[in-house]
Amino acid sequence: MIEIGLIVRALLRNKIGALLIALQIALTMTIMVNAIFMIQDRQSQMQRESGLDEANTFYLTNTVFGKDYNLQAEMQTDLNSIRKTPGVIDALQINAIPLSGGGWSMSLQHEPGDDKDTIGSAVYMVDDHAINTLGVELLAGTNFSAEDIEWRVDGQSTWPSKTIITKAFAEQLYPDNWETALGKTIYISQNQPMQVIGIIKTLQAPWNGWGGVERSMLVPFQMETQSSYYFIRTESGRRDELMPIIEKTLAESNKERIIRRVTTLEETRKRSYRRHNATNKILTTVVITLTLITGFGIVGLAIFSINRRTKQIGTRRAIGATKWQVMRYFLVENFLISCVGVIIGIAGAIALNMWLVKTFNLTPIGFELIAFGAVALFIVGQLAVLYPAKKAALIPPATATRTV
Amino acid sequence: MFNYYLRLARISILKHWGLSLLMILAIGLGIGATMTTVTVNYLMSANPIPHKSEQLYYVQLDSWDVNDPFDEGQNPPDQLTYTDSTNLMKAKKAFRQNVQAQAYAVIEPNDPEILPMIVNARANSADFFAMFDVPFIYGNAWSNQADDNKELVVVLNKETNEKIFGGKNSVGESIRIDGNVFQVVGVIDHWQPKPRFYDISTGAFNETEDIFVPFNLIAEEKMRMSGNTNCWKPTGDGFEAFLASECIWTQFWVELKTEQDKDDYLNFLNAYVEEQKQYGRFLRPMDNRLSTVTQWLEVQEVVADDARIMMTMSFMFLIVCLLNTVGLLLAKFLGKAPEIGLRQALGASKSTLFFQYIIEAGCIGFAGGLLGLFFAFWGLIGIETLYGDYMQNLATLDLNMMALAIAISFFATIIAGIYPTWRACKVQPSHQLKSQ
Amino acid sequence: MLVMKNINKTFQTGNIQTHALNNFNLTVNEGDFVSVTGPSGSGKTTFLNIAGLLETYTNGEFTLDGKDVGQLNDNGRSRMRNEKIGFVFQGFNLIPDLNLFDNVDVPLRYRGFDAKERRRRIEENLERVGLASRMKHLPSQLSGGQQQRVAIARALATEPRFLLADEPTGNLDSQMAQGVMTLLEEINQQGTTIIMVTHDLELAMRAIRTIQVRDGRVSELDVVAEKASA
Repeated sequence: MIEIGLIVRALLRNKIGALLIALQIALTMTIMVNAIFMIQDRQSQMQRESGLDEANTFYLTNTVFGKDYNLQAEMQTDLNSIRKTPGVIDALQINAIPLSGGGWSMSLQHEPGDDKDTIGSAVYMVDDHAINTLGVELLAGTNFSAEDIEWRVDGQSTWPSKTIITKAFAEQLYPDNWETALGKTIYISQNQPMQVIGIIKTLQAPWNGWGGVERSMLVPFQMETQSSYYFIRTESGRRDELMPIIEKTLAESNKERIIRRVTTLEETRKRSYRRHNATNKILTTVVITLTLITGFGIVGLAIFSINRRTKQIGTRRAIGATKWQVMRYFLVENFLISCVGVIIGIAGAIALNMWLVKTFNLTPIGFELIAFGAVALFIVGQLAVLYPAKKAALIPPATATRTV
Repeated sequence: MFNYYLRLARISILKHWGLSLLMILAIGLGIGATMTTVTVNYLMSANPIPHKSEQLYYVQLDSWDVNDPFDEGQNPPDQLTYTDSTNLMKAKKAFRQNVQAQAYAVIEPNDPEILPMIVNARANSADFFAMFDVPFIYGNAWSNQADDNKELVVVLNKETNEKIFGGKNSVGESIRIDGNVFQVVGVIDHWQPKPRFYDISTGAFNETEDIFVPFNLIAEEKMRMSGNTNCWKPTGDGFEAFLASECIWTQFWVELKTEQDKDDYLNFLNAYVEEQKQYGRFLRPMDNRLSTVTQWLEVQEVVADDARIMMTMSFMFLIVCLLNTVGLLLAKFLGKAPEIGLRQALGASKSTLFFQYIIEAGCIGFAGGLLGLFFAFWGLIGIETLYGDYMQNLATLDLNMMALAIAISFFATIIAGIYPTWRACKVQPSHQLKSQ
Repeated sequence: MLVMKNINKTFQTGNIQTHALNNFNLTVNEGDFVSVTGPSGSGKTTFLNIAGLLETYTNGEFTLDGKDVGQLNDNGRSRMRNEKIGFVFQGFNLIPDLNLFDNVDVPLRYRGFDAKERRRRIEENLERVGLASRMKHLPSQLSGGQQQRVAIARALATEPRFLLADEPTGNLDSQMAQGVMTLLEEINQQGTTIIMVTHDLELAMRAIRTIQVRDGRVSELDVVAEKASA
């Protein structure tokens, strides 16, 4: 375009004004790109599946305080009564809840000994109802049989001889082919052998921020303990109706214990990712507000510059510039300023990202996102200047001849 | 003259209300965002016990696996084994010492009308209350003898005393906890250090506990520990074996009056570890640490990454808002060039004009600051609602913060106003007075 | 009173040097009404800007009311403008956001009068130009002639020794121009020295003394004209 040289010269005469807008665009882009990046990162973490039938699952805490309480028998009674309740698919006692933030982990190794490399895994103590209750998918091998289940007392240090592990854990143990994990013996607590009898598709660990969140193992233990979770899966859509019923039945069947924290897995997920969600909402607000502020700033400055140049614009029109040519002047001017802003913004976005990577161990940003940020800011700039440019185009040529 | 300038500023601001609104809104949003994140960071990094934070020390001993260091070797384990903390407790080498763990219990009220309730408990030593300046309404802490004799005594917090005893002085009353009868020796007032420095392992901003009981009752199995347990070596069967194991689950604090006391205590710790090596323990290189409250909060990174990232971003946000204001003010003041030229002709000196326009900029900043406070107030409520208990007890605007907000916005706008004002005052009067 | 001796003013634009005033000499006595004429670009306006202390000169001697202007700094010149000089411009130059009262108030504020004195002067001078009843109006609500009257009231409010007028009737139709001219004459008769730049020869002849500026200097001997009879 012929005008570009002209526009550049005009801009250079008002360097500061143009530079202020360019800097605003640059900083907005810096923040926008990094914020969107963090939002996406959290979003993808939140979208990972837990492996459970989350919509139809809830759990509660059973805490016994009575003396002379028959922990084994009462627990079996409780589970039987829950399993028989119409609408319940299955139920079990478990030591920890996926996504809840609290649980057990153990180190596993290929060979026994106290100086071998180990891999950490979450441990879920369950009975043979686990696969059905959790709703996990068995990819290979078999479920526990009723005979596999052992009683575990508090403080016990020995482990059962069988386990079912997740595919992710199997992949970690046997990187070449996860299927070969089936039937292998691994060692827990340095030297106790366990045979992998089954592999399930997905079951997340209780800690969503842990790097090994996909590594879990099922261990055939029933716990003789004063406090544990009952985990219940219902038929589709019947969860909410069954929650108060089961709570009431259990609470009334035995007064020497407290039934508390009856919680759906959906609530647990929400709670687990509450920080992620909150941070994402805040970051989204920041990006939107920032874009609006920058946009309105451009509008305000453009209106001002047009008001100051009314006579000049009128003169151009009088000399023969079309409305479109007047508009185009301001659109091109904004585009040039945006170019400077975006170039600084790319550097800024990368610099901020590098700092975040260094200080907070975030991952480096992708090129597509930077490109997206650049395009977004060009569009914001053009949209913002559109209204003032239209206004400028409407200045009548007669303005040129008016003296005051 | 000041009032005159204020009036001129008011006229000018109202005349160009759209532009003024945009500037005030921009500053308000910038300040609001910054104040919100600064407040969260400020409270997260606050010193919860300023008058004695340099006399309270958290004890760390490196009892971990010789092959696989704790925390990738960056820090010794964050808790102590039961063996070590009880040994240190018995040695009584500090002015005050406290061993503690988190616990929970079921209280069965005497009144059958009231349902049994689960409470959060802290199992700690008698010195806990004096060390951490816990305020009592009724009664006192239990005695060191009560610790040694494993007496069934309990200190209730205000809310629990309210629920069980209707808020009356319950000292001397009996209460059934986990099937055992405890005697109430004290009731504490509302007490919520921020951060809850004495136990960061279970959440730096969690509520303080409902009841406090002697630590030794855990070993007696009259109280159930919760909190975090971390083991590197297999343990034997049963609770006795667990207590004797290398698992870490206790926290140990000491109060030391002077720097000399601190050095002495560290020497004592080193001698203790040296002695334990004889039993085949502590195979790692000696790394015993005493951290003051502030050091400990820093080591444990109590200020969340999210909060720090957001503070950084909010400062950048504020800069964008200020750039916005600089641009708009510049445009506005340059648009006033004819008026500025005229005022000079009528006898205004450059300094007078500077004063006039900087007051206008200051007014916009002040309005922006007030709006920013309003935004910060809602921002903090928003953060508390969004984050829930993760950031509970954090969202309060104190007077310091309010003063800071106004000051930041005021100075930010003055700084943002200086360049446009300076440019405006450079106007050559003779160029402006001739009609075009 | 106003004495300019060998005043030079040069502008530098790039490599080109322009002599706006070239050994300019002029003496204006107390009570004079001097009209300054000359073609465009002759240096009339530069002379007026220097006389009104709006611009500095390159070299020469300039004393105003016995004070050496060359010695004054920016603040000193501002004070002198405020105390001794009143301005009337072609474009009126009222502040559009302020009403008439506040417009006349501007120089009085810089002088530092108290509120009572300011009010007295504002009312008195608006009365004098016949606009006292419209004190609360904005400039945009007035005709051009009325706006120029307000500008004159503003110039007189500080009771200046000199009134500098730059094409005061340039934007007015002839009827309004006559009115403004008559007002200036009245003011002069009451003792204020007036220097008026104009290129309307008919108006220029109404002054006590008319000078012509050409190529940056007073081109010929003062043309003394008797005031045209009203």
